[in-house]
Amino acid sequence: MPDTPTHSPRPRLGVFKLASCDGCQLTLLDCEDELLLLGEQIDIVHFPEATSPGQPSGPFDVAIIEGSVSTPEQQDEVQAIRRNSTVLLTIGACATSGGIQALRNFGDHDDYRRIVYAQPEYISSLATSTPVANHVPVDFELRGCPINKQQLLELITACLRGRTPAIKNESVCFECKRNDIVCVAVTQQMPCLGPVTHAGCGAICPAFNRGCFGCYGPKESAATAPLAAQMLTNGQSDEAIKRAFRLFTAESEAFREESQRHE
Amino acid sequence: MSDEHTVSGEKTYKVDLLTRVEGEGRFHLKVKDNQVIESKLNIFEAPRYFEAFLRDRAIEEVPDIVARICGICPVAYQMSAVRALENGLGVTPSSAIRALRRLLYCGEWIESHALHVFLLHAPDFLGYDSAMAMAVDHKDLVERGLKMKKAGNALIECLGGRAIHPISIRVGGFTTTPRASALNALRDDLANALQDAIDTVTWTAALTFPDFNQAYTFVCLDHDQYPLEWGDAIHVSGSGRFPVEEFFDHSQETHVAHSTALQSHLRDGQTYLCGPMARLNRHHERLHPTARTALAKSGLSLPVHNPYQSIVVRAVELVHALAEALDLIDAYTQPEAAFSDYSPRAATACGATEAPRGLLVHRYQMGEDGLIKHADIVPPTSQNQAQIEADLVSIAPQLMALAHNDATHLCEQLIRAYDPCISCATHFLKLNIENVNAPS
Amino acid sequence: MVSLPPDGLSDLFAVLVQQGWRLVGPTVSNGAIIYDEIQSPDDLPTGWTDHQAPGQYTLEKRDDKRSFGYVVGPQSWKKELFLPHEVVQTSSLNNGTFHWHGANPKPAPTAFIGVRACDLSAIGIQDRVFLEDTYVDPHYQARRNATLIIAVNCTEAGALCFCDSMGTGPQAGPGYDLCLTEFDDCFLVESGSDRGEAIAAQLPATSAKPAQQAALTTAIDDCRQQMGRTLNTDGLPELLFGNLEHPQWDAVGDACLACGNCTLVCPTCFCHAIDETPDLASGPAVRERSWDSCFSEEHSHIHGWSFQPSIKDRYRQWATHKLSSWHSQFGTSGCVGCGRCIAWCPVGIDITEQVAAIQNSPAEPAPLPGFKPITWHERKDPLQAASARIQHIQQETHDVATLKLHMPDDYCDQPGQFNMLALPGIGEVPISVSGNDGKTTEHTVRNVGNVTAAITSLSVGDALGVRGPYGSAWPLDKMPGRPVTLIAGGIGLAPLRGVIRHLVSQTRDPATEWVSVIYGARDQSALLFSNELKQWSTNPAVKVAVTLDRASANWRGNVGTVTTLLQRKHQPDHGIYLMCGPEVMMAAVTRQLSTDGVPPENIYLSMERNMKCATGHCGRCQYGPHFICKDGPVFSYAQIRPLFGKPGF
Repeated sequence: MPDTPTHSPRPRLGVFKLASCDGCQLTLLDCEDELLLLGEQIDIVHFPEATSPGQPSGPFDVAIIEGSVSTPEQQDEVQAIRRNSTVLLTIGACATSGGIQALRNFGDHDDYRRIVYAQPEYISSLATSTPVANHVPVDFELRGCPINKQQLLELITACLRGRTPAIKNESVCFECKRNDIVCVAVTQQMPCLGPVTHAGCGAICPAFNRGCFGCYGPKESAATAPLAAQMLTNGQSDEAIKRAFRLFTAESEAFREESQRHE
Repeated sequence: MSDEHTVSGEKTYKVDLLTRVEGEGRFHLKVKDNQVIESKLNIFEAPRYFEAFLRDRAIEEVPDIVARICGICPVAYQMSAVRALENGLGVTPSSAIRALRRLLYCGEWIESHALHVFLLHAPDFLGYDSAMAMAVDHKDLVERGLKMKKAGNALIECLGGRAIHPISIRVGGFTTTPRASALNALRDDLANALQDAIDTVTWTAALTFPDFNQAYTFVCLDHDQYPLEWGDAIHVSGSGRFPVEEFFDHSQETHVAHSTALQSHLRDGQTYLCGPMARLNRHHERLHPTARTALAKSGLSLPVHNPYQSIVVRAVELVHALAEALDLIDAYTQPEAAFSDYSPRAATACGATEAPRGLLVHRYQMGEDGLIKHADIVPPTSQNQAQIEADLVSIAPQLMALAHNDATHLCEQLIRAYDPCISCATHFLKLNIENVNAPS
Repeated sequence: MVSLPPDGLSDLFAVLVQQGWRLVGPTVSNGAIIYDEIQSPDDLPTGWTDHQAPGQYTLEKRDDKRSFGYVVGPQSWKKELFLPHEVVQTSSLNNGTFHWHGANPKPAPTAFIGVRACDLSAIGIQDRVFLEDTYVDPHYQARRNATLIIAVNCTEAGALCFCDSMGTGPQAGPGYDLCLTEFDDCFLVESGSDRGEAIAAQLPATSAKPAQQAALTTAIDDCRQQMGRTLNTDGLPELLFGNLEHPQWDAVGDACLACGNCTLVCPTCFCHAIDETPDLASGPAVRERSWDSCFSEEHSHIHGWSFQPSIKDRYRQWATHKLSSWHSQFGTSGCVGCGRCIAWCPVGIDITEQVAAIQNSPAEPAPLPGFKPITWHERKDPLQAASARIQHIQQETHDVATLKLHMPDDYCDQPGQFNMLALPGIGEVPISVSGNDGKTTEHTVRNVGNVTAAITSLSVGDALGVRGPYGSAWPLDKMPGRPVTLIAGGIGLAPLRGVIRHLVSQTRDPATEWVSVIYGARDQSALLFSNELKQWSTNPAVKVAVTLDRASANWRGNVGTVTTLLQRKHQPDHGIYLMCGPEVMMAAVTRQLSTDGVPPENIYLSMERNMKCATGHCGRCQYGPHFICKDGPVFSYAQIRPLFGKPGF
């Protein structure tokens, strides 16, 4: 097709997908009240889920990547995106920690291929699923499985305005208490990863009468060891504790190491 | 990004990155002397191996894990999973819980159908690249779609904590149930969305559709209501019904070289179509009266055999989901118990529900230890994939008369009419090890 | 004191409703007794009690029908007075002027029903922080003024209660409007205000009999005997201040999750974050504050690193602030003995056990600065910012610029103080004043983050928001008649420039009142105010020495650290020494000066921490017993010596 880049004063945005469920980029379309306003302020030049045709070659003022690096092609793709982008943001647990598909990192990849596919030789995939930041420098990692809509808007707005995004690295407990939710770990002795999990979801699980299961991955200084000790005291098995830390952000350092301590 | 090259009478139509679909795929249609040589829906979405890592996970983790298969229809995955697990564990959720699940599922249908009709599919009919581009000239239309989508998402958020990967579904029920006042607070937006949906049926019915009637085999869940969250039998048009438990005896999945998604056929090799058209053709009499009226006014003649018309069918289903959601809210009283308890036991069981895109079947083998031993998940796009390839073969003669770009766009629009969810279709288990060529 | 029959509560509620109060009181929700809007005594947790243990809280049925037969739940009244989230202001730049709009809270008059003695004390402590300090918080003030307090005396203590140790309970007061004591057959009602008296007068009550009054005394005494925890507060502030390196801090650092729960449930913790929130549309930028905690990394975060990186640092900050430095700052303990931090800690860390462990094997106590009476600023809103226009910009180095601002008419400052500079939608930063000629005020800004990047890219004629000046100044009154040495590192020359200019403008005796400026920079390209450095030395009493970490080929001056220059001669002990620069530099300089026998009260340092509100309310710039924003940034070494140079503070 003819290559005539439109010159626009609006920043050019590209949205890319690697191995993922599409949920985090869907969050952009879930900004029902802000989507059109966003479209006025930024030029969405590549977003295959919503627009065609895509212009995947850039350059992009801002590139957003959803998904983890899990195939040889994706290894090349992230290099190309980084080269063509001024600001690179990664969104979601897959892009920031390898995602649930990083569970393969703890097992035998060939076995996995055989379990799922009749003709495993058709499948080109890496033995590990890894976060984008393992491959190229990333300017901001937005956490969550899925990401939070308000945080995505804050991140994009902060990027447009040139300010530091007001996205906190505190524990889920902060949000739980600010939102007046009664702690399920203290009142019901439910296993809850909230104290070591990165905030951002709004503490919805305790609000819905269940313990946090760690969708946003470890907070900074995640003290997983004393929490795991408490879970053992409360009657959880090592096996259950291993599973708890080995889910959507299994490959993140703090959770990986804690899960390995209970193998 | 279409491409054309002609070598000795050979014509290739292809799109290397399908857009306005969920996930990553491309198609490739090769025609020589008016004969289709090759038709491929190539799904290159990276494999994620859900069925492998579901092994040795606890039963209670399954709804959280399977949600991550798809960010567009996580509720569908959770619903089919808990149905299968409950069947195996001998748990029957109370009628109040079933109603609440149906309400939650309505939320997902509203959100997903509104997304597809307005943001993904409508630009094809009006000649735009995207909803954002369409909004410049048709802002009202896009805003109507976004409003409807928001009403659906609000329903999921109220019942499930968040719109994507909700957190309240568990085996036996919900972790907690909402106060009636919380649901009533959504009523006005849903009622407005219902009116918008009725208008949407009229608007979509007036669009111009390519002439492409096909003799499909339709497959959907059977139930005494319009099928969503419940149903014990699967219906195949022209050959009758069978219990959900027998799904894997009646279908086969194959793995082809050009796709990370597995393809489904019926045992006789027949391709089939699941999704809104299959549901409407079988169950239109079970639609909510408001949806029935909208359907009648639309002039759409049944059965629908033209996939391009699926936008109208989705609009009708939007009316249904909104009208039923309002009824369910009006009838709601907060149940005494949010869930029924269960004890783990060894069992193998199936569960099926109707995802927005069609039939979604799960099968789990569980151990006494409460862990999953084996999982099979068959999503609607896997089932439709072979049918899409067959459709591309069927449409080939029409392409010859068109300019190359128009022809490619017609193919792309045809694929989009299935609302394929490629993220879902990737990573599913083959049951019967055989390599079947694309059907001709 | 009057006696009310048990069903008299309905009458009390009726009077309150009739007077138009919104009622907030205890009620059962999700397995806990929380404070929520209630309508009638039916909403009270009648027949329930709470069972508490470290990391545990459960509700149990009582054998009787008491409505207040529990101690305290997860929430305290701070959620009603100091809200978890609150918009505090909006601002915009229109037509080249910065516009500021404070929020205008109009709270519904609210009656707090069932305020326990410990919580009433806690309200008093937060009043001290938000209402009775240098700056008044208008948001807290508006809600506090619209509050009626119905206290309830405790006649049963919980397993985690230690109000008796803290001197805050179990008997409530002062500070209530009405106080109830619940017995099986009656409520005894005491009035603590005219409003309370008027309400009591409308109740179907009879005078309390002497036997009832005696029963009250007995019940309170019995309650004291039941306290589940004790804390020995004797000499505790000084003991903890002398035990900042006690091994128990390491032990608790290993056990603590840094989840923040203890601070969030604490009824006195007041630390908060201030953030700009999304402003996708072109409307004014909104600034919101929300509960923060010294357990968050961001709390002590500045220029890409944190002053309290380890969990041990954060726990120690919290516990020593509560029990020790709070006394210096506000004249009381910051702990009321409610036990919430023990119950709601997911791993059950018990502050009374931590203190006891230190008391078991203590190092010597250390004196704390005494509590200072306050200076009152009459201001509508301490966060109120005015518009200032840029008159001139001097690019000092590749990443440092000096902005000359035309300030509001009533503005004046002293060298050493700082202002908060703001750009709507981007944020606000503390920048020290680097010069003031009476008409314009200079700020020398280094581009180290997004806000400073935006400020340093402004142009002449642009406006920005400014509020201040804040903080302490260099001690100009001590400088006559003595030698003054000023030592600066890097950007640290900027806060000293005002005082240097002041000294240079004077006629000083070069023999006894000489002024020595010692300035260290990374390399030649990082030198600030190059032309002025030469000008300064034209005053015969002033000597300027510059030293670089790395010399370029054409550099003929000194190379090395400022301490090397300082070491070249003995520093007189009666001289005054002012310094500003990286803390490692200031630590080396103070060591050298101390070696030369300079007393700590002659040494002054300008300190930097995470200053966000600049008014002593957000708690982020705490430095032991000090707030950098209002007690500093300029301190004498004597003031901060116990903490200075210690990691983790």
